[in-house]
Amino acid sequence: MSNGALLRCCGLSAAVEEKQILHEIDFEVPQGEVHVLMGPNGAGKSTLGHVLMGDPVYDITAGSIEFDGADITELTPDKRSLAGMFLSFQAPVEIPGVPLRSFLRAMVEGRGEKMKNKEFRKQTKALAETLDMDPAYLDRELGVGFSGGEKKKVEMLQLLMLKPKLAILDETDSGLDVDALSVVSRGMELYREQCDGTLLIITHNTRILEHLNVDRVHVMVAGRMVAYGTASLIEEIDAQGFERYEAAVAID
Amino acid sequence: MQTSAVTIGRASAMPAPTWHFLNMNDTVIEVPAGLAISPSVKVSEPYSAKGAADEFENALADAQEAWEQDHPAPTAEELATREEFLAAEADATYGGTAQSAYQVVADAIEESRSLAVAFEHGVGDEAAAYLRYAAGERVVVQADPGKQVDAQVVVAAVPGTVSAAAIDVIADAGSSVNLSIVVEADADASGQAPQPEGITGTTVRVFADDGAQVSITRTQALDEGFTDIDDTGLFAADDARIDVRQTILGGSATFTGLAGDLRGDSSRIDVDTRYLGHSDRKLDLNYSLRHHGPKSRCNLQANGVLAGRASKTLRGTIDLVRGCKGAEGAENETVLLVDEGVHNKTVPVILCNEDDVAGNHGATIGHIRDEQLFYLTSRGLSQEAAERMFVAAIVEQAAIDAPDEAAKDAVVRLGERLAPGFAELFEEGV
Repeated sequence: MSNGALLRCCGLSAAVEEKQILHEIDFEVPQGEVHVLMGPNGAGKSTLGHVLMGDPVYDITAGSIEFDGADITELTPDKRSLAGMFLSFQAPVEIPGVPLRSFLRAMVEGRGEKMKNKEFRKQTKALAETLDMDPAYLDRELGVGFSGGEKKKVEMLQLLMLKPKLAILDETDSGLDVDALSVVSRGMELYREQCDGTLLIITHNTRILEHLNVDRVHVMVAGRMVAYGTASLIEEIDAQGFERYEAAVAID
Repeated sequence: MQTSAVTIGRASAMPAPTWHFLNMNDTVIEVPAGLAISPSVKVSEPYSAKGAADEFENALADAQEAWEQDHPAPTAEELATREEFLAAEADATYGGTAQSAYQVVADAIEESRSLAVAFEHGVGDEAAAYLRYAAGERVVVQADPGKQVDAQVVVAAVPGTVSAAAIDVIADAGSSVNLSIVVEADADASGQAPQPEGITGTTVRVFADDGAQVSITRTQALDEGFTDIDDTGLFAADDARIDVRQTILGGSATFTGLAGDLRGDSSRIDVDTRYLGHSDRKLDLNYSLRHHGPKSRCNLQANGVLAGRASKTLRGTIDLVRGCKGAEGAENETVLLVDEGVHNKTVPVILCNEDDVAGNHGATIGHIRDEQLFYLTSRGLSQEAAERMFVAAIVEQAAIDAPDEAAKDAVVRLGERLAPGFAELFEEGV
């Protein structure tokens, strides 16, 4: 393992309600790179994303998570966020009674940023327009009545506002039509351009990767990291699926 | 004219002695001595919509006549059969079924066959009478058959006064009325220390005739030191629909009461209440809806946030009276408790004296759900910051949803007092 890793997992195992989901995961993501995490349904990819972000539903049973040179294994999600981690949710929650704008402002204020409300309004409106979002959505209750595409745009909006050091995108492309997919791709590109961001993309759909230079691909099966390689692995998996990886795990 | 001290007891009382034993019926509204009766009320309505002072009584009398034609009084023979049935029932069951005080009154109301007797005020007759006295001349908004009327009433809170409005809404058949009531702080007195005292209030009577639609929004954005009384009584005829939206954000004490008679077939009343309790605020809310009409519908929805040492009592009673076949009533409340020092009481009551009806209630009381909390914390908010966000959000949402500029301005002024810089969020041209 290189010393320049932004994220490093060593022997990470996690369980939910005493059922072991992740088994001794070792992997790392260096600063500024784009990594892709692939695997069949139920492989534990989303679980890994949530465990990295500190979801209290999961118990870490062994191993550690290092981020930006510090051990964050015991940190709460808010502390991980403030340290520069971001998780784009596969199914963002709805929060009735909270306008999207109130939430975004609380998010900015939570980082100790002093921004005048007028400036905040300008910024959010400009970002919404960049992502082809009707600014009227800013006045709507967070996620309530939003389509799948709109919810994912809101995730991208937060990514661009927070400019985290590492963004974990959990199936951000799932269920999107071509137009929404293009907007999400634009969000990812902007994030990369504006802050040399590091990406860990959990996906089934390789279309979202077309405009990105992927540095590394990791393959998960049954809660284990079973392979890694260059971007060429994506084409191979596209053509042959995960069968040989699943077979190898079954033999083990 | 200055007031003597007035105590309005048994306000917003629940319909059974049990609730008295459980301290749910201890609501007392105190009007301190020395306040001036001085309504500061601005009314904006089309001249053509000004109705006569007795318009409401006339409309109810006409409805009484129509109702009696459709519901003839029982014959002497039917009454005798009923008496026999009740006597037999009394003999068969240890001397009969015990009746609560509520049931006795409710039976008397039904037996009176009078729509006027059945018409109730949410906070109670005593409070309604006081507000009528304090308000002086009634504001009467009337929509002729098939017409639409938009009206606005702004009640300003003036320190040292009782500022009240008495409003009647008469929506004739097939008409539509949109009424916005704004109860706002006195701009000159805002931020004064010590907080000035005063009372604001509205007592509203609504008559919605066949097929009429009435929408009422009441936005209350008072400073601390003020007590607000919000009293409403509703009558809905066949296919009439009444929507009420109440936003309760400020003041030191708030007494909100709404009673409704769903008299007509397929009549409908929806009530949506948003409230914020903070500091030492006291909120008292009472809803009582009586279904008489077959296939009538009601839905009571309340969403609130309690912080600091605020206390809140909400009573919601849905009474499915004999004859309302196919009626459905539902009540639901979601309360977020931000601080340990808050007091929350929620009492849903569903009374049923008819088959083939549905009554549902639900309440979600507590903290943010786990999956919501993880989402918010993953964005850098601590649990405490996340819960504080809900306090700010309820004011912001009220400004966004405000039905008109007067309501929006009142909410934004309150938001600015609570969190300087709030007004910038709503400046034009950004």
